[in-house]
Amino acid sequence: MSLLEVSDVSKTYGSGRGVVTALEDVTFSVETGSMLAILGPSGSGKTTLLSIVAGLLQPTSGRIVIDGQPIHLRSQREAALYRRDKIGIVFQDYHLIPYLSAVENLLLMPRLAGRATRAHREKALGLLEEFGIGERAKHAPWELSGGERQRVAIARALMNDPEIMLVDEPTANLDTERGTQVVAMLGEHVRGRDMTCLMVTHDVRMAEGADRVLRLVDGRVV
Amino acid sequence: MLALSEIVHSKLKFALIALAIGLVVALTMTLSAMSEGLVTGMTGAKGNLDADALVFQGDTYLNFERSLLTTEDVEQIRSAEGVAQAYGVGHVYISVDAPEESFDTHAFGLTGDFEQLPVVEGVGGMPQDGETIVDETVRSEGVEVGDTVTLTPIGRELTVIAFTESRRYVMAPVFYVNMNTYEDLRAASMFGVMAETSDAELPSATHVTDAVEGNVSVAAVKLDEGTTVEELAAALDDDFDVVTPDEAALAGNGMPVMVLAVNGIQVVSFVIGALVIGVFFYITTLHKTGQIAAIKALGASNAFVYRQLLAQILLLVTAGALLGTGLALGAGASMPPAMAFDPRPDRWSVTLALVYLMAFVGSLFSLRSILKIDPATALDHAEH
Repeated sequence: MSLLEVSDVSKTYGSGRGVVTALEDVTFSVETGSMLAILGPSGSGKTTLLSIVAGLLQPTSGRIVIDGQPIHLRSQREAALYRRDKIGIVFQDYHLIPYLSAVENLLLMPRLAGRATRAHREKALGLLEEFGIGERAKHAPWELSGGERQRVAIARALMNDPEIMLVDEPTANLDTERGTQVVAMLGEHVRGRDMTCLMVTHDVRMAEGADRVLRLVDGRVV
Repeated sequence: MLALSEIVHSKLKFALIALAIGLVVALTMTLSAMSEGLVTGMTGAKGNLDADALVFQGDTYLNFERSLLTTEDVEQIRSAEGVAQAYGVGHVYISVDAPEESFDTHAFGLTGDFEQLPVVEGVGGMPQDGETIVDETVRSEGVEVGDTVTLTPIGRELTVIAFTESRRYVMAPVFYVNMNTYEDLRAASMFGVMAETSDAELPSATHVTDAVEGNVSVAAVKLDEGTTVEELAAALDDDFDVVTPDEAALAGNGMPVMVLAVNGIQVVSFVIGALVIGVFFYITTLHKTGQIAAIKALGASNAFVYRQLLAQILLLVTAGALLGTGLALGAGASMPPAMAFDPRPDRWSVTLALVYLMAFVGSLFSLRSILKIDPATALDHAEH
């Protein structure tokens, strides 16, 4: 069953002669429990596509349907709630909150929805254990290595049991070995939890860790 | 929680912001207290009279130097409808030969109610003839309780039995005396002036004393419950001006202009302080644009981000307010007694409330920034 369906999505910036087409008639779907790698060079529209699926950008045309619900027409406030409750985002630059420890960065997610309970803390510590950084739970981001920060960022995205994980260049700041480990770890969690994952990457080797690969060039699926 | 965590993480940065807020609060409070001190120094003895209304001679400035009420006037006031009690307050200029330096000041004669003078040293109550209770700022002239000072050129002596506080008039410490002493001083002053300035045959001192007996500058009135100052004014004829002690304090002796000036100083200092506080929080918000974009991208509402900012402002302004109050009190304590500094809790409370209000208003600029931060920029890294 397709959890995510993207149909004829286009995105243009500017107007008149200055119009720039970032995406053109992009169509694809992703099954529950699978991982889709969006592969393409810099400037191909990968991040724009990820932003549209996240509800951070409105498409110029086309439809995005998640679990039968169109999400491309939502207001900013509705989109924020949708990201908070349904989406887990892993940023290329991690965007960990510098003044929160690793475990507190994970607890930020339940705090956005209200308050973090003892159960949330136990869950956060469990996730950090799963990612092999349990002993680093109380360390601040600046005390962690790049790989550790990436794992904290992924654990944070998993904290609210999202239906869809959106992962932006997860290996851009890692060496090949660590990058491969991170992608493998990500794949395990996605399949083990019946969620859907869109991973943007420009690295063919990392894309091989996904179930399917969607190639984007100049905003088009090729 | 985020607000507190960030403060704990960046202690130095936020300590400096709290210090800056504290300095703004201290500046505003010190100026407020100095302004109040000026007003108290100018008219404390007038405004602090224990009365609901002060009755002045009609058609004069509302100051003690110009007003003159006869015994009959005071009796007329005392018997007016709505008056529960009335006592006379006489004013006379005196020159004091003090240990440090001779100075000119004012003596107030009260027909009663010396209990209204708060005693900070010595023993209060009705002074005997030749005794006085003086505002404590006279200490700066080297006068202490128990001293006997000589008044020049009239040659009278007054023994200081107690110090009171906040009882200055036109920036000079007031000497409170009983009516016998007041009348003696007044007659001696008039006689002395006439002796120095006239070749004419002088009336005897006894005659002058008789002529001024019972005369005072104003009548201090306590009203029956439910009677207003306006009703008393209506009950008396046009020969009198009736005002509250506070109104009297802010009238005459150039007070309206001075009050306008000190209020202007306070407003300017406050506006600048408020802008500084607002700009601080605006800049800290601008520095966190990337972080706020990421939190919004994760699903935080603008309200969530703004709540964190407000919590941070509340914590920092509270820290700044405590620090500023301490600094202002310290500044006041280190000032010499003669320096005008009169911290009033009500005015300082208003100052603090306004600081919180202005910090909140300043936070609205930050809110505007928060609303404008596009969460999509968290994913944006030179690609479309």
